Amino acid sequence: MADVALSHIYKSYDGNPVIADLSLTVKSGEFVTLLGPSGCGKSTMLRMIAGLESIDKGDLYIAGRRYNDIPAQKRRLAMVFQSYALFPHMSVRENILFGLKINKVAPALMEEKFTWAIALFGLTGLERRLPKEISGGQRQRVALARALVLDPDVLLLDEPLSNLDAALRESAMEELKRVHRSVGKTIIYVTHNQVEAMSMSGRIAVLAGGNLEQFAAPQAVYDDPQTLFTAGFIGSPPMNFLTGLLQTRGTETGIATEVGFIILDKERQVRCVASLGKKVIVGIRPQNISYTDHFSARRVSDTSITLKAELFETLGDRNLVVARGAGDTVLRFLMKQDDDILPDRQVGVFIDGRKIHVFDPDTRKSIFK
Amino acid sequence: MKTRLPPMSSAQRTIWLIGIAGVLFFILAPLYLLVKYSISDSASINTGGAPVPFWPYHPTLINYWYLFTDSQFYKVICSSLFIALGTVVVSMMLGIPAAYVLGRYEVPGRKTLMLGLISVRLFPDISSVVPVTEFFIRFDAQNTYWGIVLAHTLLALPYVIFIGIGSFESIPRDLEQQARVMGASRFQIFRRILLPLSVPGLVAIAIYTFLLSWDEFVFAYFLLGLGKISTLTLYLKQKMTYAPPQNLLATISVCLSLPVILFAMLMQKYMTAGITQGSVK
Ligand SMILES: Nc1ncnc2c1ncn2[C@@H]1O[C@H](COP(=O)(O)OP(=O)(O)OP(=O)(O)O)[C@@H](O)[C@H]1O
Ligand SMILES: [Mg+2]
Repeated sequence: MADVALSHIYKSYDGNPVIADLSLTVKSGEFVTLLGPSGCGKSTMLRMIAGLESIDKGDLYIAGRRYNDIPAQKRRLAMVFQSYALFPHMSVRENILFGLKINKVAPALMEEKFTWAIALFGLTGLERRLPKEISGGQRQRVALARALVLDPDVLLLDEPLSNLDAALRESAMEELKRVHRSVGKTIIYVTHNQVEAMSMSGRIAVLAGGNLEQFAAPQAVYDDPQTLFTAGFIGSPPMNFLTGLLQTRGTETGIATEVGFIILDKERQVRCVASLGKKVIVGIRPQNISYTDHFSARRVSDTSITLKAELFETLGDRNLVVARGAGDTVLRFLMKQDDDILPDRQVGVFIDGRKIHVFDPDTRKSIFK
Repeated sequence: MKTRLPPMSSAQRTIWLIGIAGVLFFILAPLYLLVKYSISDSASINTGGAPVPFWPYHPTLINYWYLFTDSQFYKVICSSLFIALGTVVVSMMLGIPAAYVLGRYEVPGRKTLMLGLISVRLFPDISSVVPVTEFFIRFDAQNTYWGIVLAHTLLALPYVIFIGIGSFESIPRDLEQQARVMGASRFQIFRRILLPLSVPGLVAIAIYTFLLSWDEFVFAYFLLGLGKISTLTLYLKQKMTYAPPQNLLATISVCLSLPVILFAMLMQKYMTAGITQGSVK
């Protein structure tokens, strides 16, 4: 068991900074996902932890020990590469046993681990095949099995599911979760797929441009995005953003925007008093704008506004409506399949005051305390 | 992946067939003449003005009989074989690790180094042989096996290194890094990952090096001269000097070519394409 601590890490390639002053602590046995757009430095982080890339500045601690200068082959971590990196001249069995052989594990123990791993990953019957003779999903499982038999304290996974189709990905995610539960390893998982990140991790580290935007549990990242980037990156369809002025009208505090005065619920009102009177950016998820013809369904903290529906995109179970409000503001919201919204008609919707996010346009951080 | 060629029209097919036949003719015709001469008797060569017949006239194995009863012939075959295999071993032992390092790591002055390596072969053998021989003589390397093996290694090394770099570069870097993370040392990675995966390239190098040494004449002539050690090419030269019948020379030439063909055929099964297939997506 080992915790992984990155402390004030800097990394640049040929003078171009890729990671700047990044600190992150992964607890022992935790499943942490590094989530961020392409090129934000996720793989670089993983490769620095694995020892394949040097750390320019800052410290890396694993289980309390400084690891900066320990060569990759001595770190006793396991990594599954984005490319799987199976040894093409070795059978599935030889691939899985490679690390054990290198580490001179006793044959009896080796056999035991092998049996355990192929059963765990459903690879029975494929032992003698070469990597080119098995499917993509099977390759990925071989790569995972090969990493796990090493019994590493820390498991690094670089987008291991990126090449699978939706169904395979779903089952692979379940498999990974099960494995994590049964072996309890510290897992650092890289992806730019937020569904994977949301459904598997204990905590998500959202990265953008080499900065740590937020590091929290999936629900917290979704419900309480700390930065404008996190708010826009997490959640699908993406959040609506409007600019406005944070002010108090009568008894209610809210944001004066072009589409209307959007009220915050009581809890949020208290959390934002410090920023009263400031220009802000409001974020509202399409899920939190609802259409209903029962006016009674409205809560006190809901804001009612009128929009004109323009476009519909089907998402399967629901439709995404692209609508225009006052001042040409475009807002997206979701409607149920049987809602009768017609194009080019005015439609009244409610904005859920409990789910509104407010950001400072200068610091790009949440103003909620 | 092998893909089927699109179907051809009969005109296209005819053109293709003619082309292939033409190429085959140019390759096979000299070979045929060589073999024909080697089994002809003198009368079918020295025809006294009449045209040389296309088919061997009175085919005979007398030339082979002559060669195979000449004890010197066995000696030169053995030394040629020994020198060629020695060259393969030495130049690969020196060249493959060098190719690995040059192909895999950032070596300061890499470009200059590569240019230096190839520079030996930028001159015609006949002009580089003199300084090389002089240098070798200074170390008493003339008329020795190790001397001629080193000389042939000198010739082969640039190719070994260049082809080697190419075949190492074609192996995905992830494989090496993966092995490193799993705890493998540099040597283990070289031995268990890179070497097996570069087999097709190495086989090509081995064939090439064998061939280079086996039919090398200039350096052998200068370094071995007419000393105790002789190679097949020197033997051929020696027989030519005595102006023997052409059919004997042809026979020696056949014997010179056969092992090369055999060696290449033996090695061919290792030259499989697509060895790294399925490793990375
Ligand atoms: N060897 C290298 N030399 C120079 N620049 C590099 C090198 N490796 C990565 N970079 C740069 O560093 C940045 C981060 O790369 P990295 O591979 O960590 O991205 P990533 O977050 O893993 O992206 P993706 O999701 O596309 O895999 C990129 O801008 C990339 O261009
Ligand atoms: Mg990456």
